[in-house]
Amino acid sequence: MLNFCIRRLLHAIPILFGVSILVFGLVQLIPGNPIDLLLPPEASPELIAQMTKAYGFDQPLHVQYLSWLWRTLQGDLGYSIFNGAPVGEQLFSALGYTFVLAIPAALLGFGLGITLGVVAAFHQGRAIDKIFSALAITGVSLPHYWIAIVLVMIFSVTLNWLPAQGMGFIGFPTSLEHLRSLVLPVITLSLIPMGVVARVVRAATLEVLSQEFVATLHAKGLINREVVFHVLKNAAPASLAVMGLQFGYLLGGSILVETVFNWPGSGNLLNLAIFRRDIPVMQATIVVLAFFFVLLNLLVDIAQAAIDPRIRR
Amino acid sequence: MTITDFSGFPPHADLAALKPVESPGYWKQVRQRISKDRVTLVSAGILLMIVLSAVFAPLIAPYDPFQGNIMTRLKPIGFEGHLLGTDETGRDMLSRLLYGGRLSLIAGIVPVAFALLIGGTLGVIAGFAGGIVNTLIMRVTDVFYAFPSILLAIAICGMLGTGLFNTLLSLTLVFIPPIIRISESVTTQVRGLDFVEAARASGAKPLSLIRHQILANVLGPILVYATSLVSLSIILSAGLSFLGLGVSPPAAEWGLMLNSLRQAIYVEPVVAALPGALIFATSMCFNLISDGLRAAMDVRIKV
Amino acid sequence: MKLPYLTTMAAAALAGLLSAQPAFSESVLRIAMTSADVPTTTGMPNNGFEGMRFLGFPIFEPLVAWDLSSADTPAVLRPGLATSWEADPADPTRWTFNLREGVKFHDGSDFNADAVIWNLERFFDKDSSQFDQSGGAITQARNPLVKSWEKVGDYTIVIVTKYPASYFPYVIAYTLLASPAQFEAAGGDWNAFSKMPSGTGPFQITNVEPRISATLSKFDGYWDPERMAKVDTIKLFPMPEATTRLAALRSGQVDWIEVPPPDAIPGLKSAGFDVVTNTYPHIWPYLFDMMEGSPFADVRVRQAANYAVDREGLVVLLNGTAAPAKGLYPADHPYFGNPENDYKYDPEKAKALLAEAGYGPDNPVDAKIMISTSGSGQMLPIPMNEYVQQSMAKVGINLSFEVVEWGTLLVAFRNAPGSAPTMDANALNVSLVTSDYSYLYRYYHSKNASPVSYNWGHWKNAEFDGILDAVEANFDPAAVDAVMPRAHELIVDEAPWLFIVHDLNPRAMSSKVKGFVSAQSWFQDLTNVSLED
Repeated sequence: MLNFCIRRLLHAIPILFGVSILVFGLVQLIPGNPIDLLLPPEASPELIAQMTKAYGFDQPLHVQYLSWLWRTLQGDLGYSIFNGAPVGEQLFSALGYTFVLAIPAALLGFGLGITLGVVAAFHQGRAIDKIFSALAITGVSLPHYWIAIVLVMIFSVTLNWLPAQGMGFIGFPTSLEHLRSLVLPVITLSLIPMGVVARVVRAATLEVLSQEFVATLHAKGLINREVVFHVLKNAAPASLAVMGLQFGYLLGGSILVETVFNWPGSGNLLNLAIFRRDIPVMQATIVVLAFFFVLLNLLVDIAQAAIDPRIRR
Repeated sequence: MTITDFSGFPPHADLAALKPVESPGYWKQVRQRISKDRVTLVSAGILLMIVLSAVFAPLIAPYDPFQGNIMTRLKPIGFEGHLLGTDETGRDMLSRLLYGGRLSLIAGIVPVAFALLIGGTLGVIAGFAGGIVNTLIMRVTDVFYAFPSILLAIAICGMLGTGLFNTLLSLTLVFIPPIIRISESVTTQVRGLDFVEAARASGAKPLSLIRHQILANVLGPILVYATSLVSLSIILSAGLSFLGLGVSPPAAEWGLMLNSLRQAIYVEPVVAALPGALIFATSMCFNLISDGLRAAMDVRIKV
Repeated sequence: MKLPYLTTMAAAALAGLLSAQPAFSESVLRIAMTSADVPTTTGMPNNGFEGMRFLGFPIFEPLVAWDLSSADTPAVLRPGLATSWEADPADPTRWTFNLREGVKFHDGSDFNADAVIWNLERFFDKDSSQFDQSGGAITQARNPLVKSWEKVGDYTIVIVTKYPASYFPYVIAYTLLASPAQFEAAGGDWNAFSKMPSGTGPFQITNVEPRISATLSKFDGYWDPERMAKVDTIKLFPMPEATTRLAALRSGQVDWIEVPPPDAIPGLKSAGFDVVTNTYPHIWPYLFDMMEGSPFADVRVRQAANYAVDREGLVVLLNGTAAPAKGLYPADHPYFGNPENDYKYDPEKAKALLAEAGYGPDNPVDAKIMISTSGSGQMLPIPMNEYVQQSMAKVGINLSFEVVEWGTLLVAFRNAPGSAPTMDANALNVSLVTSDYSYLYRYYHSKNASPVSYNWGHWKNAEFDGILDAVEANFDPAAVDAVMPRAHELIVDEAPWLFIVHDLNPRAMSSKVKGFVSAQSWFQDLTNVSLED
């Protein structure tokens, strides 16, 4: 097992390098002079000279890449060209705010998804399967940013039950009042994970259920707790993979929901950075999010291997 | 958004159940199953209607989608010759939705088609060749996989600029990695099957092997996966337009319309909801068809 | 019985938790701004005049201030941290300012001539240790006149302008003064200062959460007893989406929103909210790039554009919260003059002008306009620009848009066409101020071409320059008033801008907000406002 973990970890390192090259490359593709892109326009000649030296603009590309990489690895994520503030500070607080949404959304989405998927699979072909499957497919087909707008109109403006936007607290929710701000964004965010997880869990569960001895037991009505546990254990690896990916999406892909709800998370930060052409912030946000995603995939792989030894190739 | 909805395609499937293509009965069976699946048929029917109306939009649309009379802005459904009302500058909603279907469907299908072509080829090559070629292709794929899909699309559009071309480009790039993964995975497993080994041993050329034995078996699952990707592509491209990174005004596209009608939700909620409803319906149809295809191709499910 | 009592108490406690009342009976006014982020709190806010309105003047004051007490007359200047000022008749470039005594900064340090000098160095002297790069850029563009300064006494200073300019008081009104002592306490770093700001105004900034909110608290030690704040706290929230602002107001999350979506105004009024509008010196234009190579270098194309916009339609789109613009000033303004061109919607005339300039159906004008997603005075940029685009397409002018965040547009505005920040735009859509004649110099005089000041498109008209030069050093208001109409006529006829609409400054507030006076200005006096329970 340890071998497997080490192998996977080593495997992740070249991927992280590849990610950094990809992000660095994307920035190079932006039309325009890199100095203009990375420095504020009112920068003095001294500042320009200083930055040119630090970023190595006069150096060949691979040297530039390496110096950027070196700085990033040391935690120096650069400074926003828009307001001069260090990127790291802004980014990590924004990530924190996104986590506050992502974790409940993941719990809700996965919890509902697993329930729907398992129940649907155990009752395959019957009405409840069709209903739950329909719910799952709806979750995956809905444009969730649109649902967000509709929910706000109904629950905030018309019924006045929940806040229309904003985080309502700083850092961490500590009261019931704070939790109210979470309700609508979390529900919106959980729709897609719920749908995807339900479908995967259902399929994986069906897969296991179709194994001969389980099918026989099922037909005879002899499903007991042990059998259910066996089914779930075997369905887990595929489901875990998908859940890991969904959580990664929640971390990095909530830009649409954060825009509608004015939530100051990493998606919102990226959105602002794009419209401000704030390259350092964009670069840092994307690299850090990708890093978390790779880490997440690594953890999922290890978890899968822990559950199903056959996976440790 | 994720594109790794591998449901129905478990990684450790017992592929011995896949019949070799020599048996002509397989696809016939698939067709038969589909013809009995009402849900899939209805979805296909609705989708056909949507596609046809988008294709024939210039003939069907009652008004010019770019001309509007500001004095009749945000009118409700059925107002004076505007079957579905008017938008925020007075343009006819029905016409804009019809023309919008063109851009939205293009943004849905084209990236997936190209990704299939490029990704499928690369994946089959990787699965078939094995060894270094496989490692190289798969590791590069892993790097792209490190990005949650919408993040990659946003990064590309954010850096390279807005517009239809960049949207199509970024979505294609987003979809290539999972298709590579799937096709490589299937190809590897099919390649290892007895009948394929047998064919190889009897001296069959690689290309003909690929064509006869592998492709036919690989095509099914990939097709299923691709149709579900179209649904995602439509939602993602609409999302990009919603953020201002996709097509620009005055183009008629469902995501863009969703954005520009946001304010109208308090004045004409039904009209404002129309683009969203269409995105949902189209996306749903593709997903249902995808499910239907999968169920039909899965030989183990008793119909 | 015990149980129902306990249940009732539990319910009451829950209700208490669920309600949004603060612990003490402190009055908190919550305002939603159109900016995408909290304007900088260093004492020179970004985000244009909305930044000045909320994070500028209420906290940091200038030598010369705006009188915002009247809704019926355009706002005029009044003494701020200077009690009086005058130009030396012998050398009108020397302005003497007599400073107000007995004023303290929020941190307790004294306001005096040294503090003023220190602030001038902050904005204009790049060798000073407190030089503020970004704040300096903003201030210098607004104030291209400051050459040097001298301390004459503890409460008297002299500022020397580069050339005689009778309108200098209007210009110095935008230079805000922050506390040198606090800057030192913050370790001599503006980033650190922004977390613990200190000015002299009726409010102090007590908390900033980037991208989330800024909190202003009443300053009990304010020097003007007539203008003490009537609310204890103001919380400012950036909310760039108009529908989000609307939802926040209607659901009671905030008490006051800037720029409500125009379509929602009837609904707001019938739901009991107050919607306040008033004229104010605002124009919503396109600033043309008139340098060689731009499609707008030809005056006929510029005039054609002015005839191609259906302004009345735009006013309908905005549900009446704007008025059509035919020039920099509204038609009833004393400076309007008698221009030859009366810019009404006339697509035929537009097409004829374009044909004269060599354009036609198979040779349309292609132009890129830089617009913002929201922002101070920008109104509803996306739908409005889309509408202008529609109008123009009908006469053969094809517009495409470069959409950026407001702050980025402002940076482009301060840089010359063709430079990197302008992203190859042929025109900028920046809403601007028309409050006094100082702007005519900064927007249109050739010596103020970007990046020096606000003549972004590098318009150069010898007659116009001549008129303005003639009265620049003339301190007699009557002389100035006499020539300005002719200057305005040139602006209209030569069309360096596309004049589109004047905004009517809509705001929506809950009925709890009392005392608000909608001054005819971009700025508002927040000390008038109180909250009724």
